[in-house]
Amino acid sequence: MAQAQAVQNAPRSSGDGSMTTGNPANPTDWSVGWHPLFWGCGLIMLANVFFWYWNYAFMFTAGLNSASAEFTMYYWTLFWGELIVLGVFSGVWLGWLIRNGRAIEGQECSPAEETRRIAILWSLIGATSLAIYLMASFWPNWDGSWHQTMVRDTAFTPTHIPMFYFFFPLSVILAVGTYIYGRFHIPALYGKDKGFPWSFFLLIGACVLECMAVAANEWGHSLWISEEIFSVPFHWPFVIYGWLAAGMFAVWGETLVRMFEVEKAEEAAHPESSLESPLAAD
Amino acid sequence: MAADTTTVTDITGAAERQRRLELKELLNKKYKWLGWKWDLVFWTTAIFVVAGAADITKQLFAGDWDHWTDWKDQQWWPVITAFATIIIPSALQYIQWAAWRFPTGATYTACCLFLAAWAGRYFQWDLAANYPLNFVWPASVVCAGILMDWTLMKTKSFILTSLIGAHVWAIAVWAYNYVPLAAFLQPAYFMDHVVTVADVQGIAYIRSQTPEYLRLIERGALRSFLGETQYVSLAFGGTAAFVGYWIGQFIGRYLAVWPIRRYLKTV
Repeated sequence: MAQAQAVQNAPRSSGDGSMTTGNPANPTDWSVGWHPLFWGCGLIMLANVFFWYWNYAFMFTAGLNSASAEFTMYYWTLFWGELIVLGVFSGVWLGWLIRNGRAIEGQECSPAEETRRIAILWSLIGATSLAIYLMASFWPNWDGSWHQTMVRDTAFTPTHIPMFYFFFPLSVILAVGTYIYGRFHIPALYGKDKGFPWSFFLLIGACVLECMAVAANEWGHSLWISEEIFSVPFHWPFVIYGWLAAGMFAVWGETLVRMFEVEKAEEAAHPESSLESPLAAD
Repeated sequence: MAADTTTVTDITGAAERQRRLELKELLNKKYKWLGWKWDLVFWTTAIFVVAGAADITKQLFAGDWDHWTDWKDQQWWPVITAFATIIIPSALQYIQWAAWRFPTGATYTACCLFLAAWAGRYFQWDLAANYPLNFVWPASVVCAGILMDWTLMKTKSFILTSLIGAHVWAIAVWAYNYVPLAAFLQPAYFMDHVVTVADVQGIAYIRSQTPEYLRLIERGALRSFLGETQYVSLAFGGTAAFVGYWIGQFIGRYLAVWPIRRYLKTV
């Protein structure tokens, strides 16, 4: 634990990573480069379990009439709570990423430190992937089952409130945050001089357009086809925008290519010790 | 002349051997940081985005036919399901073939979709809304995925896979899912009518947002095909899957692989 903390703290103090200064920790240890994956996915799943249980417990007792006092108590409170949590989280996290990023901008980093940063980027992408699954599969299933059992009276139903107003914006925040992390921490790929990467343009575009499709969906149901037929035409944009999330594979691809370059540079710099180093634990 | 030919062949053979040795060396190369953890993280975390994309594509293009036994008909289900379910497997087939020469993309996607679909049906449809699983079970495309990957492995051609594999896909999706469906197509005498068990389920379990008129299926001129509706639908399902296959290829080629290391400013 102490070792992991030392590894996490060292790059912040030196800016060029501590891996070349004798710290024996491997940047790809589960507790070093990959730990945001476990924290990120754990928190997202915790939120998902909370929402699932909340709906399971209250949707039929408090979620049937959006004008009722029970709905205000259980669902409007949940709705505003979600927006506040997401607003605070995005402000704090994105602000922290930008502030920390500006502090290290322009500094050189060692191959080991760059490896750790790419592992962190993959961890954030993994968390984004989980959020996309929850917004594109897990909650739409419940939305479908709710609509088949209940006629909606508003755009704010017990299933819409967690899905459209928590997991949809959460995926935008995670995708944008992952890009900001890469923008400052992996300048070889995402630095200002490179331009905006197509990979993140597509990934962020997918998440943003999904949010916009919510409005089109509600408009379509209120004015065009009120029935919740799965394959109505105004549901199709959800699918087509979702395909843009394929940009995530481009993020994986370009960072992996970068990792081969990092390995090559390390091998060239230390040809005799690259495989005998205590860092080579994989 | 013969000696010259032999020399050229020898040089070509030597170059080929040299290339193979280089590739073999690369295959066995030990890296300092790249290792099994990167594989594990990629293959595990990709499950979520692949499952999400495959499930939303199936649900919002063909969900009406996938969620209920009484909608799994002879005329529309084989066509629309084949089209909707092949798109993301095709994209992953391209990505995995381009990256590793793995003929596994369709099977991988089919397994991801299987997990996501069953998680959705169990937690949301059965546990939360009390629809019985034997009414809302999802169609599986695992068998179709294996066969389409096998087609790519043998032909090594996306064009041939689209021509052959897409039709194999349509047939496999129908045949594989006909096994669990057959039990629900047995006749039942219900309210003075002979209907199927699936029809009884559809009447017994109320779907407030699915208007009854939508269930008036199999009413077209295909009835004149002397009961061969199924086979005509399967043939057209193959055609629809062919179109879906190339939509998936577009996603794999231009939304997943083409953007690698490309930047808006430098395009």
